[in-house]
Amino acid sequence: MIKTVISIALRLMIICLVAAGALAYVNGITAPQVAASKAQAELDALSVINQAGTIGKKVEGDGAGVNYYFPVTDNGTVTNYILSLKSQGYGGDLIILANFKANGEIIDAKLMEDAETPGLGKKAEESWYMNKFKGTGASTPVPVKKTMLAAADADVISGATITFTGVSKALEYGSDFAKKLGGQQ
Amino acid sequence: MIKEFTKGLFKENPIFVIALGLCPTLATSTMVINALGMGAGVIFVLVCSNIFISLLKDFIPDTVRIPAYIVVIAAFVTIVQMVMEAYCPALYAALGVFVPLIVVNCIILGRAEAFANKNKVLPSILDGLGMGIGFTISLTLIALIREVLGSGTITLPGCVITVPGISLAPIRVIAFPAGALLVLGLLRAYFQHRSIKK
Repeated sequence: MIKTVISIALRLMIICLVAAGALAYVNGITAPQVAASKAQAELDALSVINQAGTIGKKVEGDGAGVNYYFPVTDNGTVTNYILSLKSQGYGGDLIILANFKANGEIIDAKLMEDAETPGLGKKAEESWYMNKFKGTGASTPVPVKKTMLAAADADVISGATITFTGVSKALEYGSDFAKKLGGQQ
Repeated sequence: MIKEFTKGLFKENPIFVIALGLCPTLATSTMVINALGMGAGVIFVLVCSNIFISLLKDFIPDTVRIPAYIVVIAAFVTIVQMVMEAYCPALYAALGVFVPLIVVNCIILGRAEAFANKNKVLPSILDGLGMGIGFTISLTLIALIREVLGSGTITLPGCVITVPGISLAPIRVIAFPAGALLVLGLLRAYFQHRSIKK
């Protein structure tokens, strides 16, 4: 009895060990590639949404809505912040990279990661989606409700209101975060 | 021998006839490219796990065969997941949680339990290949119908074809899981009809 139990346990253990070894080997090959492609995607997005100035060193976020941010300097003074924002969409987490002026105004934004519905919420990945937010956040508030949008923009988000709410709340949070930083490193 | 391969395509098609693996079918048949990617992942896992389970059938004690199968299957799924994340990050992001969920895909455990642990390596490879390709064809067919009607596009690796007319006013519900169920139901009815007629 004891013998069979030990034999079963040993056999299962051997299978697990071989599987773990194989996985460790594959991970050793793919992990650098994964890290590199993620870094590249972020670099590409940074260069698109940064309009002028030099992107500074990455700073850790507040652990809530801001993952991390980069101050953008122009001749030594901080003019903008590029924030990596986290929010909830319809299908899961949303990660948004957005460029704010130090007064909280949204310059540009890009949806980096999402799991939204194709044809509806997935549209938020396209660059025109963020146009309705550009220029808001300072003197005009970030539109967080459908009623705050122009009729044409409101039509576009119909059927994907949860995505819109996720994106707009993140941008509103980012705008406030940039205001609080207020030009400091 | 060749029957082991062809049975998965039509006669015992995993989705339309034996109705296995329906959850990932409904969830990943949103775009043609997702269906092809998911299909490739399933074929790889199915063939590899069939090979190993058929090789190990005398080594694996009968009482703990299910955990042993799951370990083998999970190892291959994790390999697929890591390779996909490294070399096709867009596909990896689109398939999301359904890549790790291949582990519990009934097709794979089903074939291990029903076929690979009773047969030699070569028939097991053919069985896995046939079932995997049958799954991929069905998934792609559903995805093609859903993507054309639901978004008016056909997304293939490297290019997107826009279907004129439909893309302006697509039938939105087809892009949702409910639409997937409708399409799957109609296709299943068709396959049923065919087999009854024979």
